[in-house]
Amino acid sequence: MKHAFPFLLLALASGWTADAQQFATREATISFLSETPIEDIQAESREASAIFDAGTGQLAFQVPILSFHFPKALMEEHFNENYMESEQFPKATFRGQVLDLDLAAEGAQAVRATGTLQMHGVSVERDIAGTMTRTEEGWTIATKFPVPCTDHDIDIPKVVSENIAEVIDVTLSATLLPR
Amino acid sequence: MNWTPFRAPALLLAASALFLPGRLAAQDDFMDFFDAPSGPELVTSTFKAGRIINVQSPETSGKGEMNFIIAHRFGRISDGAYALWGLDNAQMRMGLDYGLTDRLQVGVARSTFGKTLEANVKWRFVEQKKGGGSPVSLTGYSVLMRDGMRFPEDGIERLGVHRLSYVHQVVIARKFSPEFSLAVIPSLVHRNLVDQPARPNDVATVGTGFRYKLNQRLSVNGEYHVLLPRPIEDGLNNSLSLGLDIETGGHVFQLHITNSRGMFERSFLAETAGRWQDGDLYFGFNINRVFQVGDRR
Repeated sequence: MKHAFPFLLLALASGWTADAQQFATREATISFLSETPIEDIQAESREASAIFDAGTGQLAFQVPILSFHFPKALMEEHFNENYMESEQFPKATFRGQVLDLDLAAEGAQAVRATGTLQMHGVSVERDIAGTMTRTEEGWTIATKFPVPCTDHDIDIPKVVSENIAEVIDVTLSATLLPR
Repeated sequence: MNWTPFRAPALLLAASALFLPGRLAAQDDFMDFFDAPSGPELVTSTFKAGRIINVQSPETSGKGEMNFIIAHRFGRISDGAYALWGLDNAQMRMGLDYGLTDRLQVGVARSTFGKTLEANVKWRFVEQKKGGGSPVSLTGYSVLMRDGMRFPEDGIERLGVHRLSYVHQVVIARKFSPEFSLAVIPSLVHRNLVDQPARPNDVATVGTGFRYKLNQRLSVNGEYHVLLPRPIEDGLNNSLSLGLDIETGGHVFQLHITNSRGMFERSFLAETAGRWQDGDLYFGFNINRVFQVGDRR
């Protein structure tokens, strides 16, 4: 069985390195902007979590809806109560696979992540472009992508349809460290 | 043992079989990261507005928020067509509430009823939390009321301090589901001067209020207050109100029917004279308009 040994060793080693190749943060920032001629509504959460497995290329984000803060208390109330229904759907999650990533490359590189964006209880398959940068300790990830409200069954009533954009721009930035 | 080509796949298979459970575990580990305890979650928006109908809800103005409340109670519906079922004469209350923090609010108001001026403070000192923490929110409310009517010229000497009355209450509230919230509100009413010998200076009430959301914009609300220790023949009644909350962007419209005509605590808790069964009902509304005037952070 002397030939089996290197195989086992390899498998073992790759298994271990896969674990050691996980990078994560609980302080990622996600903000969004609804832009209309009448008003711009902006909110930000600094309590998003992110995890990336360099071994498998898996990437996931999660953010508590209640952690988004608005410049006006009433906006925050409406956001949670009327639009996101954060009590029933407390979190938004993306889980996917990073494509086009060169683990050895220096500096920022354009990547894509394909996976499932779950929000307001509705899952949508998404292909999202972003940049990833290898740092000394881990990775930084940045992306900006549009989310159409209708995709996630977020109902904007007619009375406020001029104040709230149909497509919301979501911006995300995260600095991931070894887990 | 010699290396044979077909052994390699077999070995690979064996190796992968060996590590399959490990791989699966690693996958679970991956999403487990999000399951880490994040602590109890704050329960918000137990009610839509600062008042259930007449009585305080646990809601306060957010930090830097100015809430302008204009409220009317029309005349008795049983007055009939001649008074357009009460719409011909209205009592009005105008109030301003301001949030010093997200949980501490101060306010002033003026009612035409008794030309009453109010100063009040409201503090939600315990928040309801999900996943550990308090199952109810506790909100203290204190209001100082000053009756502004001219003293009658009956030869009895009255002082300015006799115009004052106070109500202190605690709103114990719980949001049971996104739709249903319930509050229990014990109150103490103190009047520096009462207008009839049979009326005590201090009375206590215990009330309850609820809201049930029909949809994101509409809810049914109700409240009932029992006036506790009192002489039987004082001609006063318990306050019962039923209404609808309608939300439109920056406004909350509250429409209701109540047997209390006064809109400040002393009046509707301790001095409600109308009886539902006699048709002593008043139609009324509160309009809440919110302005963000200060900084939120």
